Amino acid sequence: MNFAAPARRLVLALLFAATLAFVPAAAAAHPHVWVTVRSKVGFSPDGKVASVTHDWVFDEMYSSFATQGLAKPGELVTRDVFAPLARQNAGGLAEIGYFTTLKIGGKAAEFGPVKDGDYWMEERPDHLVAFHVDLHLKTPTAPSQYFSLLVADPEYFIDFEYDDNDPIALVSAPSGCSASIAKPKPLEGQDKTKLTESFFSGLAVGTNFGFKMASRVIVACP
Amino acid sequence: MNRLSALRRAARALFAAGLALAASPAFAQLTQRPFMVGGGEGGGGASGGITGWLIEMQSQLTRLIAADVHALHNGPAAIWGLIGFGFAYGVFHAAGPGHGKAVIASYMMASDRALKRGIVLAFLAAALQGAVAVALVGVAVLIFNATAPEMNAAANWLALASCSGVIAIGLWLTVTKGRALLVALRARFAHRAALAAAPVYADAPWRPAAGSGAAVTFRAGPPDGAGAAAIDDPAACGHLHAPDPAALEAGFSWRGAAATVLAAGSRPCSGAILVLVFALAQGLFAAGIAAVAAMSFGVALTTGALASAAVFAKRLAMRMAAGDDSRIALAARGVEFLAALLVVAFGLALLLVAGRGA
Repeated sequence: MNFAAPARRLVLALLFAATLAFVPAAAAAHPHVWVTVRSKVGFSPDGKVASVTHDWVFDEMYSSFATQGLAKPGELVTRDVFAPLARQNAGGLAEIGYFTTLKIGGKAAEFGPVKDGDYWMEERPDHLVAFHVDLHLKTPTAPSQYFSLLVADPEYFIDFEYDDNDPIALVSAPSGCSASIAKPKPLEGQDKTKLTESFFSGLAVGTNFGFKMASRVIVACP
Repeated sequence: MNRLSALRRAARALFAAGLALAASPAFAQLTQRPFMVGGGEGGGGASGGITGWLIEMQSQLTRLIAADVHALHNGPAAIWGLIGFGFAYGVFHAAGPGHGKAVIASYMMASDRALKRGIVLAFLAAALQGAVAVALVGVAVLIFNATAPEMNAAANWLALASCSGVIAIGLWLTVTKGRALLVALRARFAHRAALAAAPVYADAPWRPAAGSGAAVTFRAGPPDGAGAAAIDDPAACGHLHAPDPAALEAGFSWRGAAATVLAAGSRPCSGAILVLVFALAQGLFAAGIAAVAAMSFGVALTTGALASAAVFAKRLAMRMAAGDDSRIALAARGVEFLAALLVVAFGLALLLVAGRGA
């Protein structure tokens, strides 16, 4: 009687069982919060990229969640009343990378910490919650021929989508600069294989799925 | 025996340390995330392929649910859409990492092979989860008129309690299954030693030195249950290819199962909280409860399927390891021990995610 082969089979069987048990863990979160984005890229007087200003409008479910208990029925939640929640949200932005990737000349720009007065949160008359924040670059940077701006939650708990009508504006930009929106590419074959493999192996391919699903602003300056 | 109690002490110390870490305000501060919804679903990890499709379905369904809540203002017919979409949302949602269905599946693998019980556990956990969300939002909004950060805090406390419970159950399973694994290993060595000592195998090259080596150094306490005792007895080594049911089912207790349901189900899900608060804001709490009940039913179906898959996987593993009793027992204990470790791993993973809420 040969013991080697059955022993190998036993190990295989254990691995198989462990793999099956891991499959559920591979699935990821899905968006619970939807945000419509309008952004402004601000330039300094000497033509450098200096700031990114976001106006985010939340979906009605998150909006009713955020406004719950803050105003009397029939009244809107004002910026003052929202201040503590706004501060909490603004304070957490740095750690998640401000949900903002600004790449100039292939390098990601660094933003300074968000200060009081740079942000507010309010309930609009249509009862949707709006969040406004000014992000200042640590060092204003001269735009290269092209630079890109991406707003996304790397963990894809929040789904950021650019507004259809008024997605992006350039403020005090050097003449000739223009902005356009690039929709997300469909996942490429290789990505799909990798992602499907990761589903079955239970190993994460990375936590940047939100980036793949995001629209990208491309700014071209002459 | 001493080694075991030391192990138990270590497990207890580890659990206490985990709790202390989770409860410390510094931990919550460090991991705060903007625009969070309580319930411990921070997301992250692999997506795409099948998972990407699941995500897409859930996003669509959430919007359909919101649309149906609005439509209810125009007529009660929208309730059916609400229930249907809620159910579908639950089915898809339970394929994600929350919801403790991984916990239930691993628990089933670690402790049982009875399909029916796995499915019952899955339904109880899902029902509890839905009820916790309804109770949380109902009490928080209707009685305390709580704000979003207050609801987040409450939901995250529940999530932390749930994760700690899952880790505790995992550690308990690891200790008991580890002990059973040692017993099975000891039986396996005894069995091979007995075979080696028998005249017909006396000259076989793989023959272990009878009465020496691992067989005598494993001291794992008394064999637990009749099944293990039978395996321990070299005289009982027939050529039965079917595993002994008593040995396989050793370790299932309804008390342990109830604890698992409580731990896995006490964490409310962020999606349910959002739907309930939204429905309440529209003055349609009952519709929100109906949607959440439908979601829970959908979650229960997926969780039940996964628990069944776990049970089948264990059976398959044992069939693949087919041989004499002691090897089958070893395979069973090995699978159970790995599954117990998985419960701990899931608990820790959930804890990390849950800690991120604000």
